[in-house]
Amino acid sequence: MSKITSSSTAEYFAKNLQQVGFSSPTKAVLTTLKEAVDNALDACEEANILPELTVSIQKLGNGSSRNTDLIEIIVEDNGPGIELEDLPKVFGEYLASSKFGRGRCSRGQQGIGISAATTWAQLTNATGVKVISKTKSMRKAVTATVDVDIKGNRGLLKNKETIEWDRPHGIRVDFRIDGRIQLNGDGGLLTYLEGTTLVNPHLTLHYKLLDENMVHVERVSDSVPEIPPSTLPHPHTMKLGEFMTHAALFGKITLENFIKKGFSRVTDQTIKAMVAKGLPRNNLNRSLAQISEEEFKKIFQVIQETELVNPSTKSVLTVGEEGLAKSIHRLGEVDFFSVVTRKPTICDHKPVVVEAAIARFLTRGDPDTPVQLLRFANRVPLQFDKGACAITRAVESVNWRAYGLMQPKDSLPQGPFVFAVSVTSPFIKFKNASKETIDGGEDLIEEIRRTLMQAGQKLSRHIRAEDKAADLERKLQHIEKFGPILVEGLARIVGATKSREERAEEGLKKLLGREASDAEKAMSDAEVKLKSMQDKEKRKFGSEVFEGKIFEKKSEGIGDVESNENEA
Amino acid sequence: MNKTREIRVRELKKDIPKIAKSMCDTMLVDLEKARRPVLEAVKCSLDNSFYNAKVGYLTPGEKKVKTELNVSSVQKMARTIFVLEILLNNLSASVVNNKREIYYIAKGLIRSSMHLKPLDFDDQNESDSIIDFICDMLEVYREEMNCFANDRGGQTYSKQLVVTEHLSDGTSAVVDLGQMGTTPFQPKNRPQSFKLKGKGKIEFCLVIESEGTANTLVANGMHTRHPCIIIGAQGVPSNGVRGWCKSIQDQLKVPMYFYGDLDAYTLQNIFRTLKAGSAASLIRNSDFSAPDVRFLGVLPEDVKQYDLHCYNVNEKDPVEMRSLKKAKDTLENDPFFQDKKNKKLADILRWLIKEKKRCEQQAVFSVDPKDPLILEKVIIEKIKKGIFI
Repeated sequence: MSKITSSSTAEYFAKNLQQVGFSSPTKAVLTTLKEAVDNALDACEEANILPELTVSIQKLGNGSSRNTDLIEIIVEDNGPGIELEDLPKVFGEYLASSKFGRGRCSRGQQGIGISAATTWAQLTNATGVKVISKTKSMRKAVTATVDVDIKGNRGLLKNKETIEWDRPHGIRVDFRIDGRIQLNGDGGLLTYLEGTTLVNPHLTLHYKLLDENMVHVERVSDSVPEIPPSTLPHPHTMKLGEFMTHAALFGKITLENFIKKGFSRVTDQTIKAMVAKGLPRNNLNRSLAQISEEEFKKIFQVIQETELVNPSTKSVLTVGEEGLAKSIHRLGEVDFFSVVTRKPTICDHKPVVVEAAIARFLTRGDPDTPVQLLRFANRVPLQFDKGACAITRAVESVNWRAYGLMQPKDSLPQGPFVFAVSVTSPFIKFKNASKETIDGGEDLIEEIRRTLMQAGQKLSRHIRAEDKAADLERKLQHIEKFGPILVEGLARIVGATKSREERAEEGLKKLLGREASDAEKAMSDAEVKLKSMQDKEKRKFGSEVFEGKIFEKKSEGIGDVESNENEA
Repeated sequence: MNKTREIRVRELKKDIPKIAKSMCDTMLVDLEKARRPVLEAVKCSLDNSFYNAKVGYLTPGEKKVKTELNVSSVQKMARTIFVLEILLNNLSASVVNNKREIYYIAKGLIRSSMHLKPLDFDDQNESDSIIDFICDMLEVYREEMNCFANDRGGQTYSKQLVVTEHLSDGTSAVVDLGQMGTTPFQPKNRPQSFKLKGKGKIEFCLVIESEGTANTLVANGMHTRHPCIIIGAQGVPSNGVRGWCKSIQDQLKVPMYFYGDLDAYTLQNIFRTLKAGSAASLIRNSDFSAPDVRFLGVLPEDVKQYDLHCYNVNEKDPVEMRSLKKAKDTLENDPFFQDKKNKKLADILRWLIKEKKRCEQQAVFSVDPKDPLILEKVIIEKIKKGIFI
């Protein structure tokens, strides 16, 4: 028999980086950027700081692997910074996270991503991540390189130095990895940055990609989203093993206390209901340590059969309709838009909130191509494996033709639209560790559908008003084109006098004019309805936000050439 | 053009130019008074078709299609009056055109006058439907508007048939088909105007679906061994072929048989049109159908008796499946197949739907591959034994 050895978590991930988003050189660049930005945003929000991020991605030369380039990814934030002793844990140790299993709507959840990025850098470029960090209490910033000790699953600090850094606090990470750059398309870096901008109205972002000019995107909200307190899990969402592992975290407390304290919304009433379903009353006062595996199994089964109150929805966080309405103008010149934030609800026993923003842009998209679908889970863009995602399935299941959009059967609708759908929940179920697709049950898909249909109804007001205007135009053109030809033909066949012909033409105009005025009325009715909806939205968001005026000034710099560009 | 004697399809008691003019005048008066003119035409569709075996062809019911002037119909009305003017001009000048030519005449007129551009036709189907609408509205035959089909078919062979044609200059031409060898006689657009005579007894008239197969029978001398008339229908019979068969039936009073493929298309679209006309031509079926024609084959019993090769209907082929679906609809909606007199024809449709098979008219050649006359022999045997419907 061959010798059985055990491996560290770092060893496992180092061999299976494809499972966490490093399956190709293109994805490696995007995943590294994504992990660095997610961490920066989470850190700012935790510290109640309005985030200002600077991103730079450059090609430095050829990569060490075939068909790759050496890519430099720099992300700098104005977050609280990290103490020197914590740097190895954050960047070099797997599953060392302040967020693991806390039941909060943070972007990162497990503490894998950024360490995986360091590992990738180390594997492909023989050096980990170069970090500059400064906390409020530091006089000078610290800089070091963090490597991953793959055997021991811990971070190693190298080249420590203290340096002058003209920032009050923040972090700057510098990854050099083998990769390839894709800017546009579903998996593109620009798509990621635009998506991140959309769902983070409070973010100011500066980015420079390759030789493009530096782009500045100003924040459109001055309030840091308040991350709601964490929520406890719901027993109906757990498997037996998870239930027992969860119990192990609570030490020697009684079963009753464990059930009450370890789960969301379990009350005395719930305990009574469990007893009624067959939970032995004498077990309630026993210590968890005394309960056998067999007994745990029975307890678990009883809990599954008992009807329980759904967990609280207070733990979910929303971007908000106003935030989305403001933020959507940062993606381009909006023709019209529709935003919907649903009330938090429970899907498959988990608190969830779904939001959608649909916008038609003057300068993006094509009438004959599918809409651009931006998917978000806990405000992180999802960019791969679109077809398998619950959000895509929900979008395809809506009959968009009813709202005036073209839609091939069972497919995404078509047109120059951006559809952004955001699902936020402390317990999002993904199909894979790289968190690329949401694995949604029927409840969640239905909730997303309802959100989209609500947004679709608002959208259809605009489209209907346009259709009516086009109908009127068509009718007027028809009258002008065919009326005189008809009368002339009749007059020629009959041999009518000029005066008869003129009278008939007048009569024809009257007749068809009546119809045109009907069409005009239909158009003005549609416009009245649209205006009433717009007025409502203007009252809600403010007219400047609604018309995108406030962005004209703040967005001036977008795409402008900066003469003395200082890189991040 | 010189005033010439008009060759007529029927004794028409209508003055077409006068009716058309009066209709246009009514429209003009309506417009002068700011009233909506309405154009009314016989509804030419299956739901307005009636069949009485004693009459023998599909006749129109009471339903009418009304087109009232509005923003949506102004284009159709303008096109109708535009094409009507072209047809009236043809009538007054006693010139004829086929549908394709009318399409190009219309396009030429539109090209020569910029303000007519909105009327332009994208393809011939658009101008054809306007021509049909005009005929349905005036309740006249297209031929009476001097407008004919593009291609006619109906090549005819016989040793006995003599056709007398009255020409527009008042003279007559006598055509003895027996003197034409294997050259076919081509019926005209208004075959009802021919006078037909047989030199001796003509035993039957055989209409073959495939022009090529009709040619084979003639080349092998069938018409020299049997006193008969052989016609190649060339698919769905045109007005010319339908009128020609009607004339042969009425004037010569000889038994007429149709021989074609055993499939739903042949039965519904070719044979039914030849025998009883079609729903699209309700107003002219009386002069363009030969109700006495019998379906000689291929019959389902022929398949069994002669062990004929059949093809299975390809269920993945949308065209073949559509044809079967149409057969089901026909059994439910077509008054011709619903009439008890035509029960045996309806039974063939049921057989086709059930068996999902089709048999081609040429399959008889597999009965005795060494006998080039096998088809002739089978046809004669079937006629003699009365194996037809």
